[in-house]
Amino acid sequence: MTGTEHFERRVVLSGVGQSAVGRRLDRSGFQLTLDAVHAAIEDAGLRVDDIDGLAMFPGGGKANLPGYANGNLYEIQDALRLTTTWRQGQVEGMSLPFYGPAQAVATGQARHVVIWRTVKEGSAARNAGGRPAYGSIHPAAEGPLAWLLPVGALSPVCQVAPYATRYMHEYGVTREQLAWIPVTQRAHAALNPDAVYRDPLTVDDYLASRMISTPICLYDCDVPVDGATAIVVSAAETAPDLRAPVAVEAMAGVVDGRPSWEQWADMGRVGHATAAALWNRTSLRPADVDVAQLYDGFTIEAVWWLEAMGFCGVGEAGAFVEGGKRIALGGDLPLNTWGGQLSGGRLHASFGHTAEAIRQLRGEAGARQVVGAEVAAVTNVGGIEAGAALLTRWRG
Amino acid sequence: MTEETEPFWAAAREGRLLVEHCPACGADSFPPYGACRVCRSRPVEFVEITERGRVYSFTVNHQRWLPGLEVPYAIVLVEFPGHPGVRVAGRLRGCPPQAAAIGLEVEVGFEPGPGGFAVPSFVAVPSAIAGPGSAAVDRTPEAGAGAGA
Ligand SMILES: [Zn+2]
Repeated sequence: MTGTEHFERRVVLSGVGQSAVGRRLDRSGFQLTLDAVHAAIEDAGLRVDDIDGLAMFPGGGKANLPGYANGNLYEIQDALRLTTTWRQGQVEGMSLPFYGPAQAVATGQARHVVIWRTVKEGSAARNAGGRPAYGSIHPAAEGPLAWLLPVGALSPVCQVAPYATRYMHEYGVTREQLAWIPVTQRAHAALNPDAVYRDPLTVDDYLASRMISTPICLYDCDVPVDGATAIVVSAAETAPDLRAPVAVEAMAGVVDGRPSWEQWADMGRVGHATAAALWNRTSLRPADVDVAQLYDGFTIEAVWWLEAMGFCGVGEAGAFVEGGKRIALGGDLPLNTWGGQLSGGRLHASFGHTAEAIRQLRGEAGARQVVGAEVAAVTNVGGIEAGAALLTRWRG
Repeated sequence: MTEETEPFWAAAREGRLLVEHCPACGADSFPPYGACRVCRSRPVEFVEITERGRVYSFTVNHQRWLPGLEVPYAIVLVEFPGHPGVRVAGRLRGCPPQAAAIGLEVEVGFEPGPGGFAVPSFVAVPSAIAGPGSAAVDRTPEAGAGAGA
């Protein structure tokens, strides 16, 4: 492969900042965003005036999802009084938050880009009467959801659940096996002071919890929260100015087939094209990964990624996670060490996953540190978009 | 409703399921785009599906996402042996939601949806399911429970 194909090697992830994260915070999305952005810039070892690129997800404008869009790009730029040479309003384009910013930095359009994602979905759910209001307010016969909302598939849960049904049908995997994903991640969350749910969770708790959309129960769903995450993407040559950069070994975001929830050809498998493209960009192999931050909007999404990334074979994720040992701290592949979105909170678009990967590779993950973590995998599913990256410890 | 979906919704009102058919390559596809997903030809024709379908996957929803929406209800994704490439989502009628299963045989139906539209739904073939709640097939939009909004 030529150097130009590895543009991501010219980029580092230099800073990560998080606001408070909670089920409901009495603080505006704008203030949460500023908290996270300032924290990320400081964490990188930079000053605000060093920043010349901004990106956020989503791009702003009307969102059909209560609490989903916060931290308007224009207002943040105004509040920071920044001059930008590059901006983007939809950083999930290749289904990784840092994909577009990495391209901008690698091509010299900016040197230090701050990206953020701010959610107020916890407050939105509370305001709706305690039920998650996500995705449900304006069923309309327009756009990609025109064929789902009117027939009662009003939430991402209803849209993802048939994938879980099909997967379990094809591979004979049981809920008792899948339960080990949320149960193990809850044990990790107990070691993360910022996680929203830290009390122990058992397989019995999981099996006794209320069903949302079969086979997805309460504990298969991520937790709507209020919170903001910001990440700084910097040019690799600025590393001497940075406090603790992390390298981007490879990244990929392939959208194949039909990218809509109900038309996806094989609901037993998602993410395989992205994972194949990722491994083509590196000599590292799945066995080299020390810690995995795999998107878990729902338990089944972590299942897809375990298999797509080759951490286990197709149809083998149930056996892989059963008992929890392999995916626990100290196991072969510690999974979602911050608790993931299932216990840590739905920070969305893999922002929380990326933040944790950075911490782990720096050795800054506290009580949940994976000893000697050199390689981290990060994945994201947004709709049927799929993005994946390998991050590595910075070697200068 | 848009230019490319108008014929679909007009037929839905009559209880008829139209999908796109490409005169150039013969492929069927759904939802309507006015363009063939196989060979990219424009425009395309419509063809009515009258045959029984099979459930590809499903979920039984227990959460009341909207006020007045009766739960539980089953959402099924249905494919048709004679129309490869077509998959349509709808609610399942004619049996208890718990009787939903992959491979279940269903008839095409419609039910009242938001905004006065008739939306696709599917009626379990009585011989295909066991247990209470079986009903004779009624293909009209008036049949079955109305959507909540
Ligand atoms: Zn064609």
